[in-house]
Amino acid sequence: MKKTTKIIISVVAVLAVICILFGVYKALSPKAQTGSKAVKVEVTDNNGQTKSYDVKTDAEFLSQVMDELSAAGDFSYEGTNGDYGLYITAINGVTADYDADGAYWSIMVNGEYGMYGADSQPVADGDTFGFVYEVYAAQ
Amino acid sequence: MRSMPHNNSDEQPKKIFTVTDIATIGVMAALLEVVKVALQSIPNVELVTLLIIVFTLYLGPKALIAVWGFVGMECAVYGIGLWTIMYVYVWPILVLLTCLLRKYKSQWPFVTLAAMFGLFFGAMCSIPYFFMGGPATALAWWVAGIPYDILHGITNFIGAAVLFTPLTNALKRIRNSVPD
Repeated sequence: MKKTTKIIISVVAVLAVICILFGVYKALSPKAQTGSKAVKVEVTDNNGQTKSYDVKTDAEFLSQVMDELSAAGDFSYEGTNGDYGLYITAINGVTADYDADGAYWSIMVNGEYGMYGADSQPVADGDTFGFVYEVYAAQ
Repeated sequence: MRSMPHNNSDEQPKKIFTVTDIATIGVMAALLEVVKVALQSIPNVELVTLLIIVFTLYLGPKALIAVWGFVGMECAVYGIGLWTIMYVYVWPILVLLTCLLRKYKSQWPFVTLAAMFGLFFGAMCSIPYFFMGGPATALAWWVAGIPYDILHGITNFIGAAVLFTPLTNALKRIRNSVPD
C-alpha cells in the first residue's frame, strides 16, 4: 500500500468516528434549558468601552437578567436597595460614586433612558438594555 | 526480536524477565508518569497513549508491567478513586490492541489506534458507571464527555503522527546499544 493511501485511510477512519460520536452527542445530550425571551445587555464603562451580552431568559425584570448574567460568570454588579428600589453602584467592578464625582450607572432601554429601576424594569423579547457609566456635570 | 531465551539446556531456568527488561520497564513506568504530569495542565492533550503504544512495540506484552507501574504511581500521587478502576483496565486494552497490530511496519495503523483510543476513551471509562448506576447512567456519562473525547482523539492523532517515528527510532537505537 502506498503511504498516501495509508494516511487517507487513517484520516477517513478517524473522521468517520468523529462524525458518529458527534451525531450521538447531538442526538442524546440533554437539551439546554433556554429562556423564551432573547435580550441584549450592553455595558458601557467609564472608559466608553462597551461589552455586550446576548441572553436567553424567562426573567420578568431586568434585575433577574442581571442575576442570571452574574451567575453565568463574566458579569457582576453591586447595588443597594433603597426607597426607590435597586440602585446600581457598580457593574463589572466599575464603581460609580455620585457623592464623589457625580458618577452614576444609567439604565437604557432600547436606546432611551429607562423609566424604572432595574428591579422594576420589565423584560420583553428583543429588548436591548444598556448600563452606561455617566457623570453628572454641574457646571 | 528479543524474547524468551531458548530452553536448550535443562540447567538454565526460563527467564521471562531479563535484568534489562526490569530496568527498561522501570524507566518506562517513570517516563509515563513524568509525561503525564508534564502535560496534565493542558486538558485532553497527553502522550501516555503514544508512549504505551511505542513501549508495547518494543517490549510486547511485558509493557503491561510498566503500565501498571504507572497506574500504581498515579494512585500513590492522587489516591484511589473510581478512575483507578478505569486505568487498571483501559491502558491494558491499549497494550492488547497494540500487540494485535504488531506485524504492521507503517506508523499509520498506530496513529489511527492512538486517535481511536482517544475517541473511545470516554466510552471505555464509562464501564464502571454501568455497574454502579445501570446503562442509563453510563450512557449519560459517556455522552456528556463526547466533546472531550473528540478533542482527545484529534490531539492523539496529531501527537502520534508527529512523534511515533522519532520515538520508535530512538528506541531502536537504544535497543541496538543495549546488550541482551
